[in-house]
Amino acid sequence: MSNKHIRHVTRMLLFALAISMIFVISPLSAAEEVTAIRGGDLYTITGGIIKNGTILIEGGKISDIGQNIEIPKKAKVIDARGKVVMPGLVAVNTEVGVIGYRNITKIADSLDPFDFSVSLALASGITTAMVSTGRLSGSNPIGGATAVIKASYGDLDQMLVKESVVQPVMISNRDWLRKTTFKQNLRKAQSYLRKLMAYQQARDKKKAEEPKKPRGLDAYIRLLRREVPAALTASTKGDILAALELVDEFGIRMIFADAVEAWIVAEEIAKRDVRVVINPRQKQRPNEDISGPSGSNLENAAILKKAGVKFAIIPPSTSFETWGVVGRDMMALPMEAAFAVSGGLDEQTALEAITITAAEIIGVADRVGSLQVGKDADIIILDGHPFHHKTFVESTLINGEVLYEKAKSLYFSHITHD
Amino acid sequence: MRNIRYYILLCILMGGLSIGAAAEEVIAIKADRIDTVTSGVIENGIIVIADGKIKAIGNDVEIPEAAEVIEVPDKTIFPGLVNPSSRIGLSLPATGGPVSNPHYRVVDELYPHQDVYKRILGAGFTTVGLLPGRRSASTGITGQGAIVRPTGRSPEEMIVAESGFVMIHFQANDKVRKVITSALDSAKSKTNSTDPKIKPLVNALQGKVPTFVICNSPGEILHLTKLLEPYNKMKPVLIAGTETYRITKELVKKKIPVIFPAQIDFESNTRTRINVPRMLAEAEVKIALRPEFDSVSGHEDFLRKMAELVKSGLNRQIAKKAITIHPAEMMGIDYRLGSLDVGKDANLLILSGDPLDVGTKIDKVMIEGKIVHEAP
Repeated sequence: MSNKHIRHVTRMLLFALAISMIFVISPLSAAEEVTAIRGGDLYTITGGIIKNGTILIEGGKISDIGQNIEIPKKAKVIDARGKVVMPGLVAVNTEVGVIGYRNITKIADSLDPFDFSVSLALASGITTAMVSTGRLSGSNPIGGATAVIKASYGDLDQMLVKESVVQPVMISNRDWLRKTTFKQNLRKAQSYLRKLMAYQQARDKKKAEEPKKPRGLDAYIRLLRREVPAALTASTKGDILAALELVDEFGIRMIFADAVEAWIVAEEIAKRDVRVVINPRQKQRPNEDISGPSGSNLENAAILKKAGVKFAIIPPSTSFETWGVVGRDMMALPMEAAFAVSGGLDEQTALEAITITAAEIIGVADRVGSLQVGKDADIIILDGHPFHHKTFVESTLINGEVLYEKAKSLYFSHITHD
Repeated sequence: MRNIRYYILLCILMGGLSIGAAAEEVIAIKADRIDTVTSGVIENGIIVIADGKIKAIGNDVEIPEAAEVIEVPDKTIFPGLVNPSSRIGLSLPATGGPVSNPHYRVVDELYPHQDVYKRILGAGFTTVGLLPGRRSASTGITGQGAIVRPTGRSPEEMIVAESGFVMIHFQANDKVRKVITSALDSAKSKTNSTDPKIKPLVNALQGKVPTFVICNSPGEILHLTKLLEPYNKMKPVLIAGTETYRITKELVKKKIPVIFPAQIDFESNTRTRINVPRMLAEAEVKIALRPEFDSVSGHEDFLRKMAELVKSGLNRQIAKKAITIHPAEMMGIDYRLGSLDVGKDANLLILSGDPLDVGTKIDKVMIEGKIVHEAP
């Protein structure tokens, strides 16, 4: 073969390679398509408000955000001029997207992306939520399973974010039997961990004896190792102080749900870095039998903020309902936060309580809860300020895909404010 | 001498047999229309039936001399209806579970001589797929279904195929999943097993018999298709609920046929009416339709409900297949029944008109060449 011949063949091969490259690359680039949300006021939560900003989304993540961002020619553009753009809301405890809550132990096997509540969550702007299952039996204080899921309607594969994010625990001063069991088991687990550490530190492994792992204490061991926080209902000052004693004794992480009287002991809670979940609208009469302050307080959230306590906000009812009293369930999550604002809380912290702080409490703040480069493109576009009662969610995106549009909604498209 | 006696005996026997064969009825039906379902409509056609099977069908068919000729110049002939999933004439299924009971056979529950069978025969059903259930639990692998004719004096006379399909009742939770997968996995390596708890599963895994799966919500169906992925020879048939239309893409991709009740539904949480069989058919999901209510009146109302579905947009030809050949295919019995074709069982209806017109009456019902029902 002559040199010319070889050159010719090489050229042909290169040409063929180039052609095949085009075919190989094109489907990939289709999957990596760019979406741009342009012109809205971006409530980033962690980086202030960017007026007339642009968000670029690639591969389901936020790839760029700011005011002077060039939009690639091929990008799919969503016009958000005059709108509010913010991260999808995060609900720390809801009933959404699971089949048969009570009887299941592994949430991943029972997720339902076609659950009606999932579509309502999208319409309400909630993109991430923690769900819990299982019921209590006897004196066992350890509750069921938990998982963080996304409201990825119709898409089972994108639904699960993380399993076993918190450990529900059912103890209170009235529930003395469960509380005793909880303490005893924590002590057993603690002594096992101490023995285990002694064994691991022992130089002569032959002399040392490896301790046997006690049965049924896995949940307690995870709590003691601070792998997950314990989530428990602590409404009254008494319950809260008793739970804080457990934090002092065992060094476990904790989340207080339903913390109506948290404002009374805000400093104590702040000292131990315990997280709190509140319903600003919840009412509870003062207890006449005790001295000192008691009962609910509209300023609960504001006082907690002043003391430095991190808290999330959820409505009194944790389900999504199309019936019952309007505005008291998950479909009005921003309204609940607005009530905290009416009790003296600043708007920024109120927004955080339904986005980034909520995400932190359920352990997914690395992926959701704010508009930041690298985070999941779970974004909502609103037609007004999130705390205004007239405001509607116009579009909801999860992982960069538009899964809800009010204009196409069977339930909300006809509602307008002219 | 002894030999002669044998010969005489043999001659008598032979004679008896030949007389028997001559007495085997040959029937010829001449009708205005013969709707074969699979090979179009034959106007002014003739069907020749011998030994309970269709011997010839068409316009220019020679009628054997010995044939008894039934002339119905103003009638339509249509295949007998096939209901692929029913518990008619059986007790309510058990509850509880999950369990793996592949050895339970609905045949053992069969109780002939029931008026309900006569009544559904009169409604045009010549084949019924019975689901197992009495002694089994309601979730997990609940047993083997059977294909029966709703006529006969003993279970043996009713049975067309004894173990028609394996039945799974799926629910999306870890317990049910574990029961099903561990049973299937343990049967996977035991292909030669004769164990009654293993063999039906081997047959199902190899696709020798179909697997009927009750799975209600579209979310659960996604879990189910994932669970069945490793068992790629299995032939799942879905007994599904209203919202199945939300996952037609998945069903088409996985080639999973659906058994659905003949009913007009509401879109969930609305008062908007939807025709789900139409939506499934238009998305090219293979469908079989069954009575909305598994009762006598449900069966008697069936053709009227079917006519309503056609009136509101379901393709008439698909509707006809969905009540005859499709359910027969889903049960793996289409080589024998489900359409009017040469070689198939002579299961047919003599009707006053098209089966999917509201005014149509069922005149006669024939199973394997015998008229089993005549309108009074």
